[in-house]
Amino acid sequence: MQKVVERILNLLAFLLTTDRPVTADEVRHTVAGYDRDNDEAFRRMFERDKDLLRTLGIPLTTKATDAWEVETGYVVPNDEYGLLDPELNDEERVALLLARQAVLMGGAAEAFEPLLKLGGLPALASPEPFAATLDLDDESITRVFEATTERLVIAFGYRGVARRVAPYGLVHRRGNWYVVGSEEGQTEVKAFRIDRVETEIAVTATSFVRPDGIRVSDAIPGAPWEAGGEDIHAIVLFDPELAWWAARRISDRTATEPTDDGGLRATIPVRNVDAFFAWMIDFGDKAVIEGPAELRARFIDRVRGVS
Amino acid sequence: MSSPKTVQRLFRILSMLPWVIANPGSTVREVVERFDYSSPKQLAADLDLVFVCGLPGYGPGELMVAYIDDDEVVVELADYFSRPIRLTPPEALQLIGAGRAVLSSGAAPEALERAVQKLEHMLFSDVDQVLTVDLSEPPLLQELRSAVERKGVVTITYTALGTGDTTVRDIEPWQLRSTLGNWYLTAWCHRADAERVFRLDRIQRVVDTDGVAEAVRRVDSIAIGYTPNAGETIATLRLGERARWVSQYYPVDVVSDDEGDTVVRLSAYDPNVAAKLLIRLGSHAELLDGERVAVAYEELQRQILSRYPEAVE
Repeated sequence: MQKVVERILNLLAFLLTTDRPVTADEVRHTVAGYDRDNDEAFRRMFERDKDLLRTLGIPLTTKATDAWEVETGYVVPNDEYGLLDPELNDEERVALLLARQAVLMGGAAEAFEPLLKLGGLPALASPEPFAATLDLDDESITRVFEATTERLVIAFGYRGVARRVAPYGLVHRRGNWYVVGSEEGQTEVKAFRIDRVETEIAVTATSFVRPDGIRVSDAIPGAPWEAGGEDIHAIVLFDPELAWWAARRISDRTATEPTDDGGLRATIPVRNVDAFFAWMIDFGDKAVIEGPAELRARFIDRVRGVS
Repeated sequence: MSSPKTVQRLFRILSMLPWVIANPGSTVREVVERFDYSSPKQLAADLDLVFVCGLPGYGPGELMVAYIDDDEVVVELADYFSRPIRLTPPEALQLIGAGRAVLSSGAAPEALERAVQKLEHMLFSDVDQVLTVDLSEPPLLQELRSAVERKGVVTITYTALGTGDTTVRDIEPWQLRSTLGNWYLTAWCHRADAERVFRLDRIQRVVDTDGVAEAVRRVDSIAIGYTPNAGETIATLRLGERARWVSQYYPVDVVSDDEGDTVVRLSAYDPNVAAKLLIRLGSHAELLDGERVAVAYEELQRQILSRYPEAVE
């Protein structure tokens, strides 16, 4: 291991101080540790070391060594290599680590490693009294985040249509991740649920300009049943026993009226019937859909298991 | 592939060097603690290694200088390593995502707000907020959070999700968790004399008592009861095309995944919860196995339909 670490430090020092593309051959004859008689042995070693640099998060790119583009060489652009100093103090570093520990991200990497880059940590305070799951496991979320920061249009299939979207932001709400943006050539800002995307998300080479004054969270519906293609106003009667629970979950787009016995009658905008039905089922026999008749009939079919 | 140990060691060296360069006069103890070295010896080994590396020529003027002088860590001639490696997008996403999540719970320390803002500013200088995490802080979160912190006992009015029964009970709140879009409270329940998990939006009222928590706190896994444990009631479901999301959304055991149909097993510690899922999926799912769930399913179906006279034939 010692030899590998030395070789990588030498290679990186060389690449960072040479502001032109460096060929593999030059590395072999200039950088300590690479001097191998056997071509194949050198090639394998160099390939492995390039992978290692990329694993560390070091931006290693290739470029032609001259205008004739006969040979390509390797570059680590100095301005891309280094972290701009966010100027965190220790109190802020601790707060970040505690937050990172409180949040379970699926199989994401060690909590501590990114913090090392930000200047390590002094002794720790007591942990956060709460925990959260963010499900960052999904590689497409990272890809969307990257496209958002680099201002690149993404392409994917959604509700049976191939779309090209300029991503303005990424939102986690009520257990779901959404990408918020505008489809190319349109101005409307929409939210797309990432787990409902039907294809791989591809990052294109097309860049975009983010319009001023966009608030990404405004594009996310207030309740799960408010996002979708349908447009129905459901009238629901909630019994007194669970009216308090209903009142907590409905958004301010819902008109409500108390009933004489302490229950609640609500007119709920429904754009996603499946999500709405799921919520209604949670009430068991403590709520009833009064109208419209067609929605009521669909609900009965759902409960009977025939739709 | 290089071993994870090699990666870790390089990662630490390339993070430690910039810090020492920026903070001349750092002591061995400081650096050991800050960068999680197991001993001063381990740090010394890294410095020895740095000492034999540098630029081509590899003579006295080209090699880096790194050693421990008395109690001080000294690094010289290593200006090209004066900045740590940039954060990769996944790393930035993890830090900012976690930070935003904790901030959205309210009552997060001010330092976290500043830290997240600084990171966001560093990454996207011209945009105010690219990443939003909204755990939609439910009512009563603050009351319960403060009960956790002062190790108190509170009286809650709770409506069980499965049965719909409302009870009043004294509990010792241990930990709050947000997962799959809902908040949960793990607590010691005096009524059950056992550990219980409560869904926050089903807690109607919280009243403080003078009591002091006495049970030994146990706070471990974050997963909320969907994954089957040995000896638990299990239901087996066949999911059609339109219900397949269940196998991705909930941590269930996938038994088989053929064309069109997916068969999964899930924990049904409360058969009523599984019954609700089944009703919700309608004709897109079928219960293959799980007697208690079947009973609960029929009972729930009967209850709901009792509100719809036209459905009774």
